[in-house]
Amino acid sequence: MNERLIIGQYYPANSVLHRLDPRVKFIGSFAYITMIFFAESLLSWFFAAVYLFAMVIISKVPVRLMLKGLKSILFILIFTCILNIFFAPGETVVFEFYFIKITLEGLLLFAKMAARLVLLIISSSILTLTTTPLALTDALEFFLRPFAKIGLPAQEIAMMMTIALRFIPTLMEETEKIMKAQKARGADFETGGLVRRAKALVPILVPLFISSFKRAEDLAMAMEARCYRTDIKRSKMKELKFQRADYSALVCVTGFIAGLIIFRYF
Amino acid sequence: MEIIKFENVSYEYIRTDEQQRITQRFEAIKQLNLSIEKGEFVAVLGHNGSGKSTLAKLINALIQPKSGTVTVNGFDTSVEENIYKVRKSAGMVFQNPDNQIIASVVGEDVAFGPENLGIKSAEILRRVREALESVGMLKYFDYSPHNLSGGQKQRIAIAGVLAMEPDIIVLDEPTAMLDPLGRRDVLKTVMKLNAEKNITSVLITHFMDEAALAQRIIVMEGGKIAMDGKPAEVFSQVEKMRELRLDVPQITELNYMLKKSGVNMPLGILTVKEMTDELCRLKLRA
Ligand SMILES: Nc1ncnc2c1ncn2[C@@H]1O[C@H](COP(=O)(O)OP(=O)(O)O)[C@@H](O)[C@H]1O
Ligand SMILES: [Mg+2]
Repeated sequence: MNERLIIGQYYPANSVLHRLDPRVKFIGSFAYITMIFFAESLLSWFFAAVYLFAMVIISKVPVRLMLKGLKSILFILIFTCILNIFFAPGETVVFEFYFIKITLEGLLLFAKMAARLVLLIISSSILTLTTTPLALTDALEFFLRPFAKIGLPAQEIAMMMTIALRFIPTLMEETEKIMKAQKARGADFETGGLVRRAKALVPILVPLFISSFKRAEDLAMAMEARCYRTDIKRSKMKELKFQRADYSALVCVTGFIAGLIIFRYF
Repeated sequence: MEIIKFENVSYEYIRTDEQQRITQRFEAIKQLNLSIEKGEFVAVLGHNGSGKSTLAKLINALIQPKSGTVTVNGFDTSVEENIYKVRKSAGMVFQNPDNQIIASVVGEDVAFGPENLGIKSAEILRRVREALESVGMLKYFDYSPHNLSGGQKQRIAIAGVLAMEPDIIVLDEPTAMLDPLGRRDVLKTVMKLNAEKNITSVLITHFMDEAALAQRIIVMEGGKIAMDGKPAEVFSQVEKMRELRLDVPQITELNYMLKKSGVNMPLGILTVKEMTDELCRLKLRA
């Protein structure tokens, strides 16, 4: 994997999940995220968690990477926790100290919300960690295609995403270069208040914008020279195609949906 | 059979202001006549602003002449329906390797052209592999182009053109941003394609040693063709080249200086080998 640059969060590994059709993974994640809003009973929560844990294991992605995504929601979790503790309605007081009143209902509400968020983040992490951005783009194009009838340019949106993915590393490298050049001239990006730091960014953004316009112009010409046109449907080197594993996966997703609905009432 | 033909071609860049009023006109190509035979390897030289890139864009139908006709592979580039046929048969490689790669995976990028032509998947895959093979980059099929060297990126750009199965390849200073090693690889690739696949090659360059490898050199100046001939013929006119603000290869310059100071040798020597042969011959005669 030495020279292959990983954009986004893709974690290369050889697992069933990695090999699945990106559309199936999209459907699976979407179904999961929708269904966890139906989880009610303890058993249904347990079922959802076990299902997701199984997916994590199957994906062969280190759990550490899965948990990384959770860091970003830590703040939200703490915040809602405090809110719930202070303001949640409920009679069953478990702890009282002056104006602080913690109720059982509040705690339960918080637990549910936290569980939902955690499962949601992990399930979408599984999608992005096992699917290359290119495959994600292909799947997105597929799902947007029906909207082409009402004028949504699905093919062009996918092309825009492809180009964005291609140029993210190039522009990052360029930013770094410009920053180094400015630093060598005595620019200071690390100290000072917010305003000062924002001001220090101007000499980076201006050259970056200028060079990006030049790139865009060049790229447009290169694309035209290679017969790019928007008035016809382009073909694809790799057509998305369902394999047997994809059908099995869909059965699995259906099983999960059914299971959750049943367990909800226990 | 001539595959590229310019007949009295002129082209004008027009700058307009916000109200679409013309503020500036610049005639970049002036009444130019040129024909290039199928399978030829032509180098185009010329000072900055002499109209080389404009010439290249006219061949690829990226722009259409203001007057006169450009015919590529039998298609008049001014006719709307011909544009994509022309672009398919005359591929183009640009100077900056970073600004012409479209996808974040090498194979996908090479597939871009054929995908635009609506070719079937299996056939695209075959062409992409073949194209990458012929530029020696097949093992990078599923690499990201980002970490490759400039020379490798340019060869991928060439493969991207090859996958459209063109008859002509126009390269606009493809080696200008490369290191010597990258330059050598790119040039080798172009020469190989020209020799093995009989692809007509038009190489715009400002490296005289690259131009010396071509079968024919065209020197542009002020939107016109100033010189046109075999490398030996063109380079032997050292004074005229200087007038056009161009150098000649070092060995040709030495050849010229020796001749001027009275050494009895012919002009138009392009390689070190030719020079040593000539010197040995002189020594033997003396
Ligand atoms: N987009 C443009 N708008 C206006 N003038 C241009 C444009 N592109 C090129 N020119 C002018 O046309 C002339 C020829 O340009 P070009 O064909 O790019 O030359 P070369 O490639 O030999 O350096 C130059 O004088 C240049 O200033
Ligand atoms: Mg140029």
